[in-house]
Amino acid sequence: MKRTGLMLSALAAFVVLVSSCRKEPLNDMTAEESRIYVTNYDEKADFTTFKTFSIVDSVAVISNREGSKKELTQYDQQLLAQLKSQMQARGYTLVDKAAKPDLAMNVSRIDNTTTSIGYNPGYWAGWPGYWDTGYWGYPGWGYWFPSYYNVFRYNEKSVAVDLLDLKNAKTGEGNKLTAIWNVMLRGSGVWNGNNIETMVKAVFDQSQYLKTTN
Amino acid sequence: MKSIKTIILGLALIAGGAVAAHAQSRPPLSVNVNYSIAQPLGSLKDYADKTSFRGWNVGVQYHLNDQLAVGLKTGFGDFYERVPRAVYPGKGEDISAVQTRTLQTIPILATVQYTFTKPDAAVLPYAGLGIGTANMNYEKYWGEFVEKENKWAFQVSPEVGVNVPFGKYSPFMFNASVQYNYAPYKQFEIKNFNTVQANIGLKFHIQ
Repeated sequence: MKRTGLMLSALAAFVVLVSSCRKEPLNDMTAEESRIYVTNYDEKADFTTFKTFSIVDSVAVISNREGSKKELTQYDQQLLAQLKSQMQARGYTLVDKAAKPDLAMNVSRIDNTTTSIGYNPGYWAGWPGYWDTGYWGYPGWGYWFPSYYNVFRYNEKSVAVDLLDLKNAKTGEGNKLTAIWNVMLRGSGVWNGNNIETMVKAVFDQSQYLKTTN
Repeated sequence: MKSIKTIILGLALIAGGAVAAHAQSRPPLSVNVNYSIAQPLGSLKDYADKTSFRGWNVGVQYHLNDQLAVGLKTGFGDFYERVPRAVYPGKGEDISAVQTRTLQTIPILATVQYTFTKPDAAVLPYAGLGIGTANMNYEKYWGEFVEKENKWAFQVSPEVGVNVPFGKYSPFMFNASVQYNYAPYKQFEIKNFNTVQANIGLKFHIQ
């Protein structure tokens, strides 16, 4: 009887130990902590050789649920404005896309409910809704992302910024515009306007090579 | 239960050769349950430097005589550290993230243990060695995104401790021990698994 009691209490203690063993990383994670800011860059690119840039007039919304569309919400306006001012702060001159800019900046919001889209940031370049190369005056061309660009598997909402080399577009193989810089913002709250300034500042801060000489 | 006994008896033969059966002071089969605290060392400490208070282990032993026992041991340990936001450079890549670095380990060890005193002593000090394998579950969170690898590694764990019976010849004892764990486990920044672990718990001879 006494032995049975001991066995049972030992078993009870064991169950408590097993069930409370692991500290779960996601349980106490804030939205700020959940976000990651990824930048990829072309190691062969010399960012100082570019002088001018242009940016899309709206944001492509790429979704695996609702199809694709271009939007210009208040969030989108703020995002585009932040990107412009950061680029200008690095010495690049904003010009109209008709004025043959050296660099083109595509901005997209990606909304996926599955995690199956893959690792490569260039993957959605072929998706309906993504910026057509024709927008930049290269109809029928494709996009090319260096193969070592890779980002983490993600789900739900993210933001992508792709900086394309138009200056050297003529010399590219197979009529492709090379993305020399790519930004991925992912995690909770990336579509929240209050976070734009912090997020955009962070990606420029970690990309000190992105500047030109005047 | 019968198969566990068979395994332990098999281990007994490997470990100690034939040991003549003779009268023992306590029933030969014992079970112990322990809570454990582990301190990571070396590259594991660089990865996740917090002392782990989330560990336990259980073991069964077959006592060949009053001094020598062989058995099996398993358990769990969880290492964890959250690192404030930083930029991690890679090839053509920089990632700004809050990293939550975790490692869960489940060792499965064959053990041999030698008690230094007579069975009627008030305190029974012992030394032991565990050799076997450990499942290492590496989960590093970049923000809310996990990078995950699970694999097995060889592990060796020497141990020293004391058993304090609740009364002379009692089959029921308090146990306290310190063990060192080493596993040649490599995963990204972890070059090997290296910890010092303290255990407290209960041990009882059941039959």
